[in-house]
Amino acid sequence: MKLKKIAKVLLSCVLAGALFTGCGGSQGGDKDAKAPEGTGSIKLGMITYLNATEKRMEDILAKVTEDSGIQLSKHVITYYDSLKTMQMGIESGSVDEISTYNCVGKYIIAANDKYAVVNDSAKLKLADSFCFAVRKDDAQLKTDLDKAINEMKSDGTLDKLVDEYITNVKADNIPKVDIPTIDGAETLKVGITGDLPPMDLILPDNSPAGFNTAMLAEIGKRLNRNIEVVQIESGARAAALNANQIDVVFWAVVPVSEGVPNDIDKPEGLEFSEPYFKDDVAHLNYNK
Amino acid sequence: MDFTEILYKIFIKDGGWLTILNGLWVTVQISALSLFLGTLLGSLLCFFRVGKFTPLKVIAQIYISIIRGSPVLMLLMLLFYGVFARTGMAPIVVAVITFSMHTAAHVAELLRASLMALDKGQVEAARTLGFSKWQAFQLVTLPQLAKIARPVYQSTVVNLIQWTSVVGYVTITDLTRVINNIASRTMQPMITITGGMIIYLALSYLVYGAFHLTERRRAQ
Repeated sequence: MKLKKIAKVLLSCVLAGALFTGCGGSQGGDKDAKAPEGTGSIKLGMITYLNATEKRMEDILAKVTEDSGIQLSKHVITYYDSLKTMQMGIESGSVDEISTYNCVGKYIIAANDKYAVVNDSAKLKLADSFCFAVRKDDAQLKTDLDKAINEMKSDGTLDKLVDEYITNVKADNIPKVDIPTIDGAETLKVGITGDLPPMDLILPDNSPAGFNTAMLAEIGKRLNRNIEVVQIESGARAAALNANQIDVVFWAVVPVSEGVPNDIDKPEGLEFSEPYFKDDVAHLNYNK
Repeated sequence: MDFTEILYKIFIKDGGWLTILNGLWVTVQISALSLFLGTLLGSLLCFFRVGKFTPLKVIAQIYISIIRGSPVLMLLMLLFYGVFARTGMAPIVVAVITFSMHTAAHVAELLRASLMALDKGQVEAARTLGFSKWQAFQLVTLPQLAKIARPVYQSTVVNLIQWTSVVGYVTITDLTRVINNIASRTMQPMITITGGMIIYLALSYLVYGAFHLTERRRAQ
């Protein structure tokens, strides 16, 4: 009687696992049935821009198509709220390609060899900038952050951090970030989602790491502030900032150009710092 | 990369399992505390709801219908980022308050339903035999109530454990949050999340097991 019960539980676990991992076989058939490239029916996964409606994104993508000559607007776009769900989308075959950044793409391929860069994505020439977001009424903090970022740009610290945490990073050997504590200093609370390696991730021992965190640790030193990193779901970042639960979050902004306003995903009441890193968009595909 | 290697990388390497256990501990803490407080508050609510004092009865009724009819994540966000935002209360305290409030509404309803299923004549008989009100409740109503409420209560406990998986929205690192972090770091979301699901499943079966054991003891 007991054995039968245990067997039942195990069986349902296996079944659930099989459902989630797509069960192999049948997916292969779908892949072959995919429309040939160039006909413009590629299903593309993108991470949603928090505050831009999908209609607005469509207009912007149409503009990008005009500028770059790549038929981006003919992609059928599915929006995901995080990199992780987007990955699940491509692994289960809901989308054919995912849109992410070069450095993130490199990390994904190094960590999971089933991913590859789509050839023509280098021609996209789309780059997003990374910056910090703070509350609008926290103008002093924005000025301080900008000053620190500019200093780091001019004295070469920024390039050093980029080398250490992005260019030379190995997916299975992420360097720890040492966040110093200064006695008696004010604390700056930072929200981290852990969902965009190598920019933003959590190590196996639950300590925050990645380029963004390293950036902030350095800025904390320069501003004489303690840095306290809290983990938060990406969807709750703006709410947490507005409610004073955290002071800084990491943000990515699209480049300022004619077609693309720089504030498409800027929630009201937030202010962005100087951008400190820029990366091209890359499309990845997944081979079972 | 073969499958066992991937599993090792996800769940064991560099003390990853310890972080998972810590996350699990946070989940268990929030669930256990909320269950305790929620059951107390729920019993009180049920007492008001079936009582004869109309204002309290109406208040309990309104409370139950609002809380039972709204998603717990909304309540959690509202309390943490709205009501308690300026108090500087620890996120875990707010989470326990939220889930206690939520559980209380469900417990109150399940107790009321069980009370309605009881045979009123038995209490009346006990009262005519000279039992006091409290004695009649303690000796006649309570044992039967516990028996009827038990299976539903058990599923409320399991539901509660699963509801706590949204606390990542209020800066708490629970089991779901840890699993999400691992999924993003290792770039293996399917396997990691399936693993996380099995841990939650195991937790639920522990609860079922505990109920099963106590039931046996009562039967003996």
